[in-house]
Amino acid sequence: MATAPKAKAVREDLLRVEGLTKIYDGAVKAVDNISLTVTTGEIFALLGGSGCGKSTLLRMLAGFETPTQGKIYLAGEDITHLPPYKRPINMMFQSYALFPHLSVWENIAFGLKRDGMPKNDINDRVESLLGLVQLTKLAKRKPHQLSGGQQQRVALARSLAKRPQLLLLDEPLGALDKKLRESTQLELVNIIEEVGVTCVLVTHDQEEAMTMASRIAVMSEGSFMQVGSPDEVYEMPNSRHVADFIGNVNIFDGVVEVDEPDHVTVRCEECVHYVGHGISGNTGMSVSVALRPEKILLSKNKPQGEFNKGKPQGEFNWCEGEVIEIVYFGAHTTYHLKLASGLVIKAQELNSTRDLSCGLTWGDRAYAHWSDLAMVVLTQ
Amino acid sequence: MNKIFSKSWMIAVYVFLYMPIITLVVFSFNDSQLVTVWSHASIRWYHVLVHDRELISAVALSLRIAFLSALLSVFFGTFTAFALNRYKRFRGRTLLSSMASTPLVMPDVIVGLSLLLMLVSMQQWWGFPERGLLTILLGHALLGTAYATVVVTSRLREMDGKLDEAAMDLGCQPFQVFKLVTLPLLAPALVSAFLLTFTLSFDDVVLSSFLSGPGYSTLPMVVFSRARLGLNPTINAVATVTITVVSIAVIVSSFYQSRAERKRKLEVAQAYSDSNQ
Repeated sequence: MATAPKAKAVREDLLRVEGLTKIYDGAVKAVDNISLTVTTGEIFALLGGSGCGKSTLLRMLAGFETPTQGKIYLAGEDITHLPPYKRPINMMFQSYALFPHLSVWENIAFGLKRDGMPKNDINDRVESLLGLVQLTKLAKRKPHQLSGGQQQRVALARSLAKRPQLLLLDEPLGALDKKLRESTQLELVNIIEEVGVTCVLVTHDQEEAMTMASRIAVMSEGSFMQVGSPDEVYEMPNSRHVADFIGNVNIFDGVVEVDEPDHVTVRCEECVHYVGHGISGNTGMSVSVALRPEKILLSKNKPQGEFNKGKPQGEFNWCEGEVIEIVYFGAHTTYHLKLASGLVIKAQELNSTRDLSCGLTWGDRAYAHWSDLAMVVLTQ
Repeated sequence: MNKIFSKSWMIAVYVFLYMPIITLVVFSFNDSQLVTVWSHASIRWYHVLVHDRELISAVALSLRIAFLSALLSVFFGTFTAFALNRYKRFRGRTLLSSMASTPLVMPDVIVGLSLLLMLVSMQQWWGFPERGLLTILLGHALLGTAYATVVVTSRLREMDGKLDEAAMDLGCQPFQVFKLVTLPLLAPALVSAFLLTFTLSFDDVVLSSFLSGPGYSTLPMVVFSRARLGLNPTINAVATVTITVVSIAVIVSSFYQSRAERKRKLEVAQAYSDSNQ
């Protein structure tokens, strides 16, 4: 591609999107004023439920949709109105969209032939890609003669063939079964890192986003709710929506009682939360406290331990309830605890020994407790 | 019990479908003047057929018209189907989509009559076109286009629109997408549309009767007019020849198809054993 050398000049942001908006039929805002930058070498995930606008955003990047407003820059160059066949961007489609009348080899060579690459170079390029995705032996087969995982690898090789500056992945593992997914996920990331291509990936599967991406944007109703690394988004969600969308979460509603720079307490109907860090809020403010199930410990007796730097448990960070449901997952077990207020919280216990050590059963009274660093205070 | 029932049912259907054809073929070797009375076997009517100029030229004309009108129908039908399927918003789309299928439901007599009236007035104003091969071709292409549009549309509809996008994504301009992806995938539909419109044209009698001029009689027209004067077994001979030609074509094509299929299966097996090594 003629624009390739420029990528190095502005290495810091390969893709820059400014105020991108897509309105369908003059009324439906599929994508609402989104701005983002993707750095060279990054794997950036757009995560959201169906209809959140993630696919529309991806299609605008590929050039299949024209934005109503806003600009897209690739390596400093405005590509907003460039047709798809002129963009140095390639896409791996959701159901692969392999050409059924062409062999694996011809599928991969398709884009190179359009560029008028010399025949020998095409041969070399295709052979090396076939080696990369370990399909050298199947080069002559037609797509329908391949398994789902093999088709996925052909699709990947085809989208990498033209050495795009940006690779778009649309639900890359959506069509594979669960077991195959896990191995393919890592394989995909390894290949992408080996090639060193920058990726934008769209998925509705949070696990896929967490394991593959270096940064995640959680989308809802056409806007970004939060953008951050997987652990940021998981451990420090900025809103109830994000906390709820990524993983499981227990949410307590309460009011800030003590607001100190190094800690706050939040009084809820069920318990009093002692949070080991300051928040940007003030006393009397109503907030939500988000607590992940795996951060809750269960015991049969009232917790007497210390939950924070020698401070006794006292009234903080515990509650009592009745076990109403036990869901066994093998590696861990999730207990549903019904509290006096009627709120049901989930606590996830690791099955670290083979006798399910917690010893709780349906109808038992149990105490849940957690550390002062386990929860996040959400102000919105 | 069930088996006997289904078998006899199958035989009944075959008899119903093919008895008339078999009778026709058998009677083409009848020596008698009468179509329905068997005297003894001979190839007398084939001799007559060879020397029947009118019938021979009618067959030639029918074949020519069928071939050309099938070509035209597939050409226009493909583009109509493509426009309707791939361009969701343009002025007059709804009108086009309903008009494209109108000839399917319109009685042939009406279509033929209205075409005739139009052609007659055109000829009065411009002296063109003279009724003959061209006008029959026009009528058949009109009807055939409607059928071809339906066949191609149904194939286009089940084709993955993502393939077009993938081709564009890999550097194809819209015309290249059509040439390199859409057309090869459409090929089977184009072949069946061609065969369908070919047979439609070959056995049409209504439109041809309206649109032909002196000296231009298609085979069905000749058969039809002779039937009114009393049939003679030459018609059986013509039909037998036609059936033989068609059967040979079908057998040859299915032979090649099954050979290609076998070859492909062999390749797959080869690929499997390669990947197991």
